[in-house]
Amino acid sequence: MKRRQFLSDLIFGAAALALPVSATEARAGANGIRYLRPPGALPEPEFQSRCIRCGQCGEICPNRTIKYFGFENGLSSLDTPFIIPREQACILCMKCGDVCPTGAIQKITRDAESILSKVKMGHAWVDKNICLSYQGKTCGVCYRACPLQDVAIKVGMLEQPHVLDKCIGCGLCERSCIQIPQAIRIMPYYG
Amino acid sequence: MIFFYRQLNKLRWVTLTIVFSMLIVLPFIHLYQTYVAAHAYDLIAPSEKQIYDVMEQLTSPFVSDPERDLDALKGNTWSGKLFGLSLSDPLAAVSQAASGMTVYWPLFLTALIPVVLTMIFGRFFCGWICPATFLYELNSNLAVLLHKLGLHTGHRRLDLRLKYIVLAVGLLLSMATGAVLTAAIYPPAILGREIYYAIALNGFGAGMVFFIVTLLFDLLVSRRGFCRYLCPGGALYSLLGHFRLFRIRRKVETCNDCAKCNAVCEFGLDPLRDDFGQECNNCTACIAICPTDALTFVVSPKDIPFQGPGHLGRVYKRQHQEKAEDV
Repeated sequence: MKRRQFLSDLIFGAAALALPVSATEARAGANGIRYLRPPGALPEPEFQSRCIRCGQCGEICPNRTIKYFGFENGLSSLDTPFIIPREQACILCMKCGDVCPTGAIQKITRDAESILSKVKMGHAWVDKNICLSYQGKTCGVCYRACPLQDVAIKVGMLEQPHVLDKCIGCGLCERSCIQIPQAIRIMPYYG
Repeated sequence: MIFFYRQLNKLRWVTLTIVFSMLIVLPFIHLYQTYVAAHAYDLIAPSEKQIYDVMEQLTSPFVSDPERDLDALKGNTWSGKLFGLSLSDPLAAVSQAASGMTVYWPLFLTALIPVVLTMIFGRFFCGWICPATFLYELNSNLAVLLHKLGLHTGHRRLDLRLKYIVLAVGLLLSMATGAVLTAAIYPPAILGREIYYAIALNGFGAGMVFFIVTLLFDLLVSRRGFCRYLCPGGALYSLLGHFRLFRIRRKVETCNDCAKCNAVCEFGLDPLRDDFGQECNNCTACIAICPTDALTFVVSPKDIPFQGPGHLGRVYKRQHQEKAEDV
């Protein structure tokens, strides 16, 4: 009886200690990994607790952009949606927000104003060592692929791209970049 | 009426098959929609062209604009859209509330219709809709076949209350980690996603491993063991269906104690001794097999206690003969 008492104390004590620690850690998103979520997704800790992993966002996506995590980042992000822009970038149709039953991806109407004010998936970043325009060969493909030209990205001399603050990170520039590896990348937004 | 009740088991197989085949058709519909949206018929691979042609033939009688009209049916039994009506599993709503520690009302409203239906019909989801049930019942048929071939299959009995612990622990862990973890151990949710992954993305994911383990558990440890002892959704449905209105009752006058109902019951219940309880999923397999039509549906919020042996059975006849001889 004594040993059983000790064991149960041990288990419940450990649980009582571990539960708040893991809870605060998970809720703060302490693993520090950034995910590129579908447009309109809530900031990271809230997104994971809202998403019920129903897979409807991927099933409605007309561009087959949305993919799903396996165990690569652990259990908490299992089966949650993410985007690899180099493979398939978001065309900002906003259908995933309409179909999401939990509001993890929020409903946003498809016009430039509300998309610019509400969507923040990430931010494009140009690697000037790879970018053709910065090597003196005029390119400008990323600028032409951008759905928000001159708002999210502008070009200077030799079509050198300059990403502006309003970039929302849809990834169409990364998808279209003709360099291998890509000279422009989306850095996922975090929190 | 009893003739109608006897056909319900066939009707149940029809609905199970429809739900399961919809889970397979919907990813193909999605692929077809993406090809249409991309205007890419000339660019897609021959295998994709086949999908396009077949889906076009299947859907063209019903829709004029596949890109938009086919959005009417989306999702799976975990959460989905049915002609503008959003429906979600009650477990999805409850575990989302646990992981978010707030109640998101739009999601709860989508779970309202299933909850009300469960309070009327009990665990009917488990017997009539759940896509995993379709495979689990085929799996238990396979177990019968293996048993006939002389191989060992499991018939262990565990405590039925185990699943409530699984539900509670699942919700507590969801609360602790801030992620909906019950979605990872709930077979219909897993199947809904994994079939989509397998057809529209790049093959089965991690959830399928878990599902195959549950199939093996059913085969080797206990018949329909996962649904009866471990399923968190089944636990929630059982609790909601405790005071269900429609339940099966044995008519003691016409029962002959043949015990076929007990043998056929997938959930290992005891219809012969009037022991249905909150676990019964109203699958009506026992009604369909009863040779004397002694099982029927009644509207009653409670089960009745054991009514004694059936009046057409040997035990009852012997008792009455003894009484007659005594007199």
